Amino acid sequence: MSDVKTHSIDISAMQRSQQALRIEDETVCLSVNDLHLYYGEKEALKGVNMVIPEKKVTAFIGPSGCGKSTLLRCFNRMNDLVDGCRITGELNLRDQNIYAKGTDVAELRRRVGMVFQKPNPFPKSIYENVAYGLRIQGINKKRLLDETVEWALRSAALWDEVKDRLHESALGMSGGQQQRLVIARTVAVKPEVLLLDEPASALDPISTLKIEELIHELKSEFTIAIVTHNMQQAARVSDYTAFMYMGDLIEFGDTNTLFTNPSKQQTEDYITGRYG
Amino acid sequence: MKMKKKSVSEWVKSGDPWVWLNAGAVAISVIMVVGLLLLIAVRGLGHFWPADVVETHYALPGDSEYNLVAERVESVEVPAAQLREAGINIPDEHQLMQRTLMKTGNRDVYGSDFRWVIDEYLTDSKRPEMLFTAERREWGNLYGYLKAVKEDGKIVSETTDLTPTDSAMATWNTFEKSIERAAVIFDEIHEIEKKDIGKINYALERIRLEQRRLELENKLTPAAAADLAAERGQYDEEYKGLQQSLIDLYAKINRDTFVVQVMDGSEHEMPVAKIVHAYRANAMSVPQKMGFYFTKLWEFLSDEPREANTEGGVFPAIFGTVMMVLLMTVLVTPFGVVAAVYLREYASQGWVTRIIRIAVNNLAGVPSIVYGVFGLGFFIYFLGSGIDQAFFPEALPSPTFGTGGLMWASITLALLTVPVVIVATEEGLSRIPRNVREGSLALGATKFETLWRVVLPMASPAIMTGVILAVARAAGEVAPLMLVGVVKLAPSLPLDGNYPYIHLDQKFMHLGFHIYDVGFQSPNVEAARPLVYATALLLVIVIALLNLSAVTIRNHLREKYKSLEM
Repeated sequence: MSDVKTHSIDISAMQRSQQALRIEDETVCLSVNDLHLYYGEKEALKGVNMVIPEKKVTAFIGPSGCGKSTLLRCFNRMNDLVDGCRITGELNLRDQNIYAKGTDVAELRRRVGMVFQKPNPFPKSIYENVAYGLRIQGINKKRLLDETVEWALRSAALWDEVKDRLHESALGMSGGQQQRLVIARTVAVKPEVLLLDEPASALDPISTLKIEELIHELKSEFTIAIVTHNMQQAARVSDYTAFMYMGDLIEFGDTNTLFTNPSKQQTEDYITGRYG
Repeated sequence: MKMKKKSVSEWVKSGDPWVWLNAGAVAISVIMVVGLLLLIAVRGLGHFWPADVVETHYALPGDSEYNLVAERVESVEVPAAQLREAGINIPDEHQLMQRTLMKTGNRDVYGSDFRWVIDEYLTDSKRPEMLFTAERREWGNLYGYLKAVKEDGKIVSETTDLTPTDSAMATWNTFEKSIERAAVIFDEIHEIEKKDIGKINYALERIRLEQRRLELENKLTPAAAADLAAERGQYDEEYKGLQQSLIDLYAKINRDTFVVQVMDGSEHEMPVAKIVHAYRANAMSVPQKMGFYFTKLWEFLSDEPREANTEGGVFPAIFGTVMMVLLMTVLVTPFGVVAAVYLREYASQGWVTRIIRIAVNNLAGVPSIVYGVFGLGFFIYFLGSGIDQAFFPEALPSPTFGTGGLMWASITLALLTVPVVIVATEEGLSRIPRNVREGSLALGATKFETLWRVVLPMASPAIMTGVILAVARAAGEVAPLMLVGVVKLAPSLPLDGNYPYIHLDQKFMHLGFHIYDVGFQSPNVEAARPLVYATALLLVIVIALLNLSAVTIRNHLREKYKSLEM
């Protein structure tokens, strides 16, 4: 356990040493304009405006029920599956409004991958889990599949652990391995954005650490948005942090600044543990 | 007293009475099921045992004595008063009397197979070794002493002894050889009649229909007619050849006869060809009897029925049952699954869907005979005659699909069982964790791809559960089948070597209906009763085997798609 601790301190130290990042300097990947979301009568998001920068990690923090997961699920239109969910406003992936009529939702979800709180591997072999997204796209060439599966599993730092049992059921893996498998599965379709919805909350500390390291690795290739209710985790892994409260985006900025020198009283109260 | 009351309330509180109640209910159910199976097994399987034959003297008080040769079937105790009322002169000191049902066989000689006797008046019972039982192709069993064997009317071996002397044994051996020879010839005849001539008849019928079709379409040119006539001539020629060989075979098989002395001392001459088995049960050792028993059991499973279904085997009925259930499964599974997928996954969950769901559930409770009536009215009279008019006008007025048949029976049963599959599949679909569906959707799969690649495979054990229930219900159903295609005796199996191999329009036999037919419609109820039990046991076994295979598939699927443990 002490191992983990020193390591995590290393990461946060590394973060702090960096210069403060400026959102204006970043390329915009996703932009949110006045996004309102209603579950029936209840307004869950009350006009959110923000941008998700390209090839950076953006963390969403806030107390339970603040709307951070809901916002994340807007990015790949996962909320479409919820009965009685209604959205107004604009959400652009690059220059394309993803809520425009005629958007191919399946195509959008291929470009914006998502990893859920609980590992949800399919009851198939490890190999087939990773190849699933590719097969959906009609890719059935064995060589291409083999290459992509290996690449994805290596990206998820899982290859060495599973290379000898690729054709065994994915359900026989540990929770941490399953979650990395799900990340590999998502990475395999080469999305532009990775949405991580509390990816480590169901895992033990060592697995959590591995996931965090993985996020660091993946940031060079993917734009990452992560929801977490663990503030240390947000501080460790993210470049930018958004603090949400009761459906409002309270503060959004570079992680160092937000944690060390928040501009809003509510943010300071939350990160110092006064509520939440 | 107070102490006791407290302890009772504590005992109740501890939950023990509840456990006892539960365990008791389970025990009663198990005992009843095991008892049922044991009863039909004992009654049914006992039938095939080569029973000893008794020779005895029987004389009711005031009547003259006569000789009785018979198998004991069953014994009951009856009040003497009842017998007195029936006109039997029983002395006053008797209260209860043992009455036994004896199978005397020789229906052709005495007119009936069975008679009741009162044990009290049986005297001088013995089990002579030379007494033999012969199972015949008609008239039921024969009991008696072998006197002579003849070839072409000339005696080749004869004896006057009723004990196993050399001369009696020599005659017996000649007899057995003669039976063997006749059996071989009989198989040849059967082969020609069923297979070769059946094939020719089938072809001739096809030619007739072809001709009729051309006639109806006004295309019967002289050339076509000549072609058909030539073809017919060819088959006729072939038929004549076969008929000649049949005549020869019949002459051969009827060469031998034997003379038997039955219980009243009279002698009868009969053709050896009529005998299926002949054995001397009293002379057989237990292993010999066992061997014979299994031969008989196998014959029951693999042979065709004889004598209005009261003798022989039930193979066509087994075949018909299994085939109908398999066809039903093939029809009901996709239909039920597709319906359930629509109801659960695509239909908006409003009140219309709810009403449909309630209706589907209630459909499972509709009495099966109602489905039979529906099958007859809609499938057979409406769809069937429509099909006949559109596709088989040449066969009219005799119906092809416009009458009961394998296809209509399977479809009717599929309709009967589809609610079970729908309910089970819906149940299975609703249990698939939401996060697995989301996982698939989040990878860019459409709803259909998610259903097809992830959800349905995961729900497949539940679907199989539905299929198992459907099979169990369908295999045991008799009432609707009587209306839509089951018959007492089908001339041929619905699957054979003649194109198109599976004859969906044919009528077929079914074990459940066979039980009903043998038990209630048989001319010889006493002889048929053991067969009712045996067939019932067989039906249970067939259903159990069908279910077992389905359960095996389900367990395999369960293992493969075991749901997530989180």
